[in-house]
Amino acid sequence: MKPALFDYVRPESLSDALALLRDDEGATVIAGGQSLLPMLNLRVTAAEKLVDISRLHALQGTNDDGTTVSVGALVTHAAIEDGLHREAFNGLLQRVAAKIAYRAVRNMGTLGGSLSLCDPSADWPACLLALDASVIAASADDGEREIAMEEFLVDAYTTALESGELLTRVVIPRRPMARWGVSKVTRKSGAFADSLAIAVLGDGDLPTRVALTGIASCARLLIRTSGILDEDREATAATLAEAIREDIVEVHEDVTPYQLRCHHHTVSTAITEAQSWSK
Amino acid sequence: MAAETTPDGVGQWVGKSLPRKEDKRHLAGASTFIADIRLPRMRDVAFVRSPVAHGRIQSVEIPEEHRRHVFVLADLQPLVPIGGGPEMATFRNVAYPPLADGKVFFVGQTVAMCIGRNRAGAEDIAAEVFVDVEEQDAVIDAIAALEGDAPLLHEGWPDNSFIDAVISEGDIASVADAPVKVRRRLKMNRQATNPLETRGVIAYRDHRLDELVVYSSTQGPHVMRHGIALALGMPEHKVRVIAPDVGGGFGGKNRLMPEEIALAALAMKVDHPVRWIEDRNEHLIASVQAREHHYDLTLHATREGRVLGIEGSVHVDAGAFALWPSGPFMETGMAARNLPGSYTVEHLQIRTHTVATNKAPIGPYRGVARPGACFAIERMMDELADELGIDPVEIRRINLVQPQMMPYRTAGGLRLDNGDYPAALDKALAMIDLPALRERQRRGEPDGRRLGIGFAVYTEQSGHGTVEWVKRKSRVVPGYESATVRMMPDGTAHVLVAIQSHGQGLETSLSQIAAQELGMDPAAILIRHGDTGVSPQGFGTFASRSIVFSGGAVAKASRKLAAKIRRIGAHLLQVSEADVELRGSCAHGGSGSVSIAEIARAANLRPEMLPPDTRPGLEATETYEPPESGGVFSYGVHAVTLLAHPVTGVTEILDYVIVEDCGNLINPKIVDGQIIGGVAQGIGTALYEELSFSENGQPIATTFGDYMMPCATEIPSFRIGHMVTPAESTEFGVKGMGEGGAIAPPAAIANALNDAFRFCGAWFFETPMTPRRVSDAVVAALESEAAA
Amino acid sequence: MVEVTLTINGEEETVVIDARDSLSDLLREKLNLTGTHVGCDHGACGACTVHLDGTPVRSCIVLAARCECSDILTIEGTRNDAITDVVRRHFHDKHALQCGFCTPGMLMMAVDIIRRYRVPSEEQVRAELSGQICRCTGYMGIVNAIVAAADELDGQRATA
Repeated sequence: MKPALFDYVRPESLSDALALLRDDEGATVIAGGQSLLPMLNLRVTAAEKLVDISRLHALQGTNDDGTTVSVGALVTHAAIEDGLHREAFNGLLQRVAAKIAYRAVRNMGTLGGSLSLCDPSADWPACLLALDASVIAASADDGEREIAMEEFLVDAYTTALESGELLTRVVIPRRPMARWGVSKVTRKSGAFADSLAIAVLGDGDLPTRVALTGIASCARLLIRTSGILDEDREATAATLAEAIREDIVEVHEDVTPYQLRCHHHTVSTAITEAQSWSK
Repeated sequence: MAAETTPDGVGQWVGKSLPRKEDKRHLAGASTFIADIRLPRMRDVAFVRSPVAHGRIQSVEIPEEHRRHVFVLADLQPLVPIGGGPEMATFRNVAYPPLADGKVFFVGQTVAMCIGRNRAGAEDIAAEVFVDVEEQDAVIDAIAALEGDAPLLHEGWPDNSFIDAVISEGDIASVADAPVKVRRRLKMNRQATNPLETRGVIAYRDHRLDELVVYSSTQGPHVMRHGIALALGMPEHKVRVIAPDVGGGFGGKNRLMPEEIALAALAMKVDHPVRWIEDRNEHLIASVQAREHHYDLTLHATREGRVLGIEGSVHVDAGAFALWPSGPFMETGMAARNLPGSYTVEHLQIRTHTVATNKAPIGPYRGVARPGACFAIERMMDELADELGIDPVEIRRINLVQPQMMPYRTAGGLRLDNGDYPAALDKALAMIDLPALRERQRRGEPDGRRLGIGFAVYTEQSGHGTVEWVKRKSRVVPGYESATVRMMPDGTAHVLVAIQSHGQGLETSLSQIAAQELGMDPAAILIRHGDTGVSPQGFGTFASRSIVFSGGAVAKASRKLAAKIRRIGAHLLQVSEADVELRGSCAHGGSGSVSIAEIARAANLRPEMLPPDTRPGLEATETYEPPESGGVFSYGVHAVTLLAHPVTGVTEILDYVIVEDCGNLINPKIVDGQIIGGVAQGIGTALYEELSFSENGQPIATTFGDYMMPCATEIPSFRIGHMVTPAESTEFGVKGMGEGGAIAPPAAIANALNDAFRFCGAWFFETPMTPRRVSDAVVAALESEAAA
Repeated sequence: MVEVTLTINGEEETVVIDARDSLSDLLREKLNLTGTHVGCDHGACGACTVHLDGTPVRSCIVLAARCECSDILTIEGTRNDAITDVVRRHFHDKHALQCGFCTPGMLMMAVDIIRRYRVPSEEQVRAELSGQICRCTGYMGIVNAIVAAADELDGQRATA
């Protein structure tokens, strides 16, 4: 279980990295490598050249401007687990980070890497979708662009990043008072989620956003469910349940009866947990 | 540790929880597992494996630049095909070739081997070898495999069965009109053994000693030496097998596998050492696999709940080949013969089918057959209880073998030697507060989960000898073990044994036995094992046999040596031999004493100090087999309390109580460790671990991402209650107990789930009881209830 | 071929590696530091856990080339470490190992758990160990040993 041959480069700066990515379509970005290296070891994926961005200063660190928090792509799950910007999201990021795989993996794995891979069972896409985050993508020739999470997450292992583009930062609107809930079903601790729902309730102008993953494609917003929670405060449990069911069937093609039950459970549980926060 | 009672020790060293001698090297990271061995000019091997489950090889295309480094079966000749399985005319045998011989029979079967500068380089070459296979339909279901239209695996066979047999005792027809019948189909799915250290082989020719040296991560180096010599057609004195530190085995390292033969044969062709370390992917697709039993059983019972007879069939999905030496038939026979379990059932009739399928061959895994049999009978007991409205505890009381009936011959032909099964059940009940749990169950859980309590009783045959293995038609009869105790001139000693300790702590417990007999400190005794160049003949560590057999051999050899030490001591002390006692590393006699070191010096270096007619040297070799060849039976009761979610199907174990009796204990701490470790593996069987296959035989679980290994969050703390009924026929009254922990958990956990969802009648007849299976079972029950 | 210079167990080493070599390859095959065991080679069993710049990582899924200028601690580097010695003693007392294959990774993880939690509860230890597979012990001895070692070390701090 050893990878096939590849070249390895570790650019010294972001601009060097972007130039490398522009000039070499066969280049694959590696950050923490916690998903990529197992896949390379198993030879289920191959790379001609790995561009190691793990030391790029520009992709580290975070910035809180009072409205949004900008998190560098290289910030690790462990750093978030340990409390980075806990208050800005009322503990939601921390809660999600702590349940990703295992600590030794969280020490290496990065936020940007997880988003860029877009594994259909990964935690961050659902969380950041629920928080209405966006990513900053940079390329050598076109500079930076901001992509909303809904557009960024295209399908399983597919994002809106174009060839030569690198995810540099994640921008998340601050939600210090967020009322949120997380529910995850796994076959065992640390395993990829069979179902993961994250609900962030609306507040003022901000709408409710309920996201689900563990589905065939990648994390999706549950539109009807989110809408009912905002617009129909009197909605009966049955109405909500029906909306959840319709949403699941829409976002999860060929959902099995068990998956449907599981998703329904995680979504309901996440909503209930979110609603249990005192206002 | 929550041991309710700790048995009194039975001697100065025997019975003590001595900390393990093995720990020091492991804690320092200084142990030597096979992958840690470094030899000059050693090269790595990677295998080209079959990409399909069943097919005829059209060609193996090897790029010209790699031809020198790639080997197929023809390149390894001369080889002697050796078949595994019982020595029975009715057992259809086919040799498992080290590399495919024209056909492939499962995904992962070895086709060619590639030598590289390192493992990655070997894999690079393997990736360029193309195996062109004309794919045939695959057989992946053991029951469908016997139907007329099933594709045939092996040419010349009338169907896909290795052997069909009937296990019959009593007269099942006599209970045909029993008033109560309960029929169920159950399945224990296929598993990997998954020691944390995978298998591995290093082979090279030692020209100085004129021998082929094979390092192998194996549980039984002597038997492997025999098999490798047979397969290579070599004289056995020129083959040496060494098992270094072995990182767990659990049965999965106790069969001669194609890679062992292939590496040994390759070493005869090349002029450098070759190494193959199994990777986890190879382990999951092509190593020894286990379990996969189908049961279709009917209990015949009285209205009062007494089971009169068990009738039905067992299919064991054995995979494509019979592994040398024993093959899969033992799995089937043991499954059938263990169905009566610990109960006074008089009539048994089971049709057994050992079925060839396009999967990797099965072999032993901790518990061998009994986790399946226990799951089947213990689930059936609860089903019968439910049918009759009797409490599950009560149904067991009604049927358990009583102590005054012992020794009791079960309908499976097993001789339960001694113990008190009802008392074990009572003890388990005393360790849980059943009324309080029932009250909690009635109240319900705030989060909607359901509480369930389940029980299972098990027996564990251990230390069985010649007669039992001959009955099983084993081509190697592990009816004894041997030990050599060799004392050095300074009074320290080596004990040479042919078992292989790979986690069982036998370096510690066997030294306790030798120390006890020699009146020495265990620290002055080293156990040497795992090397055919060092140890006398023996069979290895499996079947819960090492403490009975090897412990017995060590005791006997130590006793023989102690007699000589006393004789010399008596001479040196000028007292009569009968007055000499060995303790505290000295021989005491009359008013004086002489150290064993002095005696050892006399025996080894100063023959003039010896009594007349006493030969110099201090060494003794003995073999041992317990007089009761049918084995001694450990037994126990597991009581599980769990919570399960009706929608997600996620299960959480709240409390796990184990009551067990394995006779006297040599080292109680090690015994508890074996129990807990076994139960943890049983929980894996019950809830997490499964090797499943697609319709065309592609394995689904090929990494630890798909194969769920239980971790510290899945395994609870355990509470253990010991009972001690010393075995009558073994040294020190011990019984083997290494496997017992793994036997009962699937049954106990399934019964707990049955209890949790008794209100809706959900069915739990298949392991592992994954969240999906639990949830589906509950929904199916609720839907059928609604439809009714 | 790539040349990396890094610190391993306090010693600076310069090693020529293949770009595809993992940190565990570098340790085991280039430097013969075989105390770091490889149980799965895909980051899922924890046997190969070492510390990279002070935090535990799975050396089978860290590229060796990435470790340029890094500080690596392996089980061999803990042989004279007072804290690890306390953990080792409790592993020995509590029968926290059987075959020993997972043990180095467990110890490397245990030291990190104690460092982060100081006095972890049993539940915390179990959660933190959830990526470390032990096939032999059923985890109970390991969990108890870590809890006991943490208590002892905390007591030492209190009296220091």
